[in-house]
Amino acid sequence: MRTPFRGFTAILYKEFLVVLRDPLTLFFMFFPPLVEMIAFGYALDNDVKHMAMVVLNEDRTTESRQMVERFVNTQTFRVVGEVQSVSELAAAIRQGKAYVGLQIPPDFTRNLRAGHTAHVQMLIDGSSSTIAGSALNTAIGVAFRESLLHFEAQTGLRELPVEVRPQILYNPAMRSPNFFVPGVIGVVLQIATTFATAMSLVRERERGTLEQLLVSPLSRWGLMLGKLVPYLCIGNFMAAVLYAIMAWVFDVPITGSLPTLALATVIYVFCLLSLGLLISTRAANQMQALQMTMMFILPSVFFSGFIFPRETMPWIFWAIGACLPTTYFIELARAIILRGADMADFWQHLVIMAGMGAALFALCVLRFRQKVG
Amino acid sequence: MIHCENLTKRFGHFTAVDGVSFSVAKGSIFGFLGPNGSGKSTVIRMLCGLLEPSDGRATIAGYDVARQTEHIKSLIGYMSQKFSLYDELTVHENLQFYGRLYGLRGAALQQRYDELVALTHLEPYLTRRAALLSGGWRQRLAMACSLVHKPSVLFLDEPTAGIDPVARRELWDLLFEFSSKGITLFVTTHYMDEAERCSHVGYIHTAKLVVCGEPDELKQLPVVNPPGTRRVDVTCEHVTVGLQALRRLPGVKGATVSGQPMHLLIEQGVAEQTLRDELEKVGIARADVRPIAPSLEDVFVALTAGNGEAK
Repeated sequence: MRTPFRGFTAILYKEFLVVLRDPLTLFFMFFPPLVEMIAFGYALDNDVKHMAMVVLNEDRTTESRQMVERFVNTQTFRVVGEVQSVSELAAAIRQGKAYVGLQIPPDFTRNLRAGHTAHVQMLIDGSSSTIAGSALNTAIGVAFRESLLHFEAQTGLRELPVEVRPQILYNPAMRSPNFFVPGVIGVVLQIATTFATAMSLVRERERGTLEQLLVSPLSRWGLMLGKLVPYLCIGNFMAAVLYAIMAWVFDVPITGSLPTLALATVIYVFCLLSLGLLISTRAANQMQALQMTMMFILPSVFFSGFIFPRETMPWIFWAIGACLPTTYFIELARAIILRGADMADFWQHLVIMAGMGAALFALCVLRFRQKVG
Repeated sequence: MIHCENLTKRFGHFTAVDGVSFSVAKGSIFGFLGPNGSGKSTVIRMLCGLLEPSDGRATIAGYDVARQTEHIKSLIGYMSQKFSLYDELTVHENLQFYGRLYGLRGAALQQRYDELVALTHLEPYLTRRAALLSGGWRQRLAMACSLVHKPSVLFLDEPTAGIDPVARRELWDLLFEFSSKGITLFVTTHYMDEAERCSHVGYIHTAKLVVCGEPDELKQLPVVNPPGTRRVDVTCEHVTVGLQALRRLPGVKGATVSGQPMHLLIEQGVAEQTLRDELEKVGIARADVRPIAPSLEDVFVALTAGNGEAK
């Protein structure tokens, strides 16, 4: 009797027992992803609010004070101090006490009343591009609004010639967690699952139990599948926990098809576990397995579109991203969770991931040598 | 049962096993001896199909170990040098796992399980994790697991390394029991007393098989008993002092301490009284001298020394 999956159920039985008996492995599978999820979910927040601003008001009139108020009313800025000179203003930004310095010159009110252009100077700390961009946009907005109100008052026009009516779909409040949390799930799943299988075969090699398996009639397919299935169950259970945290802790509901998301998760976790097994067929010891795993995880943090949009990347990084299962999973997860997409919209992504998973699994089986030394 | 012809294994420029040829008859206990790094484990691994021979061939029951691996796997059991069971699993679970690995199910698995537990007396430890077993019991469990599919040949790579003498003896009793059931045993060991228990021994030194045969045969070899010499056992006080004195005596070819007594290889013409006189000179009044047969250790020492001279 020679079946291709010979020994599969034996390995499955053993692997489940070993995994469940080893609280340390379980702890390291579950705890870091949970911490990362909470940490990433709260820390990765692009919503810039109440950034520190110092004010140099050389005009000291009601109008100039009203101008400062208008900036504060946008919720983007908060006044953390008043200074008396331009150099103090620059120093406050340099020292990191404020991101923004607002200077209202002495002739502000005079120019305003005379109908000339009243200038306001704004110094913005550009070292964080996101914060600087947000400050700039808000400042320009404030100036336009003020200018328009003036024109309206002078001309008596009550309607604007052109108006954009934006309607923000899918994340109307434009909250950052909605964008980041699905990506975080993709990344933390990868870390936990890839490590788990990358270690499992290496550990058997180090302990000498692998030799014992190799003299038995166990087939390569049976060995690999038996190693993979328990972690597939654990990985998907973990994913379910993470989705629950996303929905109830971060308040990001899953608007799309739950079965499609479940299928995508299963395929994705299968990909990652196969990658881990592939690593463990090549690594001589656990240290090597760790390093090789990191080599795969780091690019997927940067090039998968998790933080930085892939469209703006140089082609080489874009191409690297296109080879990573994480890229497809994150795009798919965002589409399903945020935009309510279903199978029909994103079946290509599922097919690509399934293809990657099948290829990785086949590769790890074929590259696994049933000899030692 | 096992047949090797010119079996060779090279790792790069290093030759671990060099042209080894021998045969092991069905039902025998073959003791494979040699110092660390001499190639013992490499030979076993080739015979188990874990390593591809670089040259030569080996067969077990007529099947080629390198090409007919699938047939070989059901014929052999292997107990590696390292304890290679799962520490996290209990004795019961380890046995269950290996049974399933070899395709046993249901009633057949249960029957074999009961047989092995009875054979190795593991009943009191069934629910204990393998990690918590003492050395001797770990080896029993490993043996039970390697026998789960009723192999015709059992390879044991240093099964008694690092376990206490009582457990060692019990383990050998178990091996004799297997042997009586017709299993061919291939055992590597460092211990000469274990070698004496084997029906056949082979001695490998620096990758080459130096000698192979029955212990009694080997003890008759001319190189072990050079013409005109004999071996005597000298029991006296202060053996180390006596040894130095006797080594200086003309006609004494070799002298070594073996516990309390010394073992000497002397020329036929050297009288026992000469030895006693020599010892008296260094203040050892009483010495008991009697003739002895060579031990396997003597055989291997003689052969290794001869081999060295030949180079």
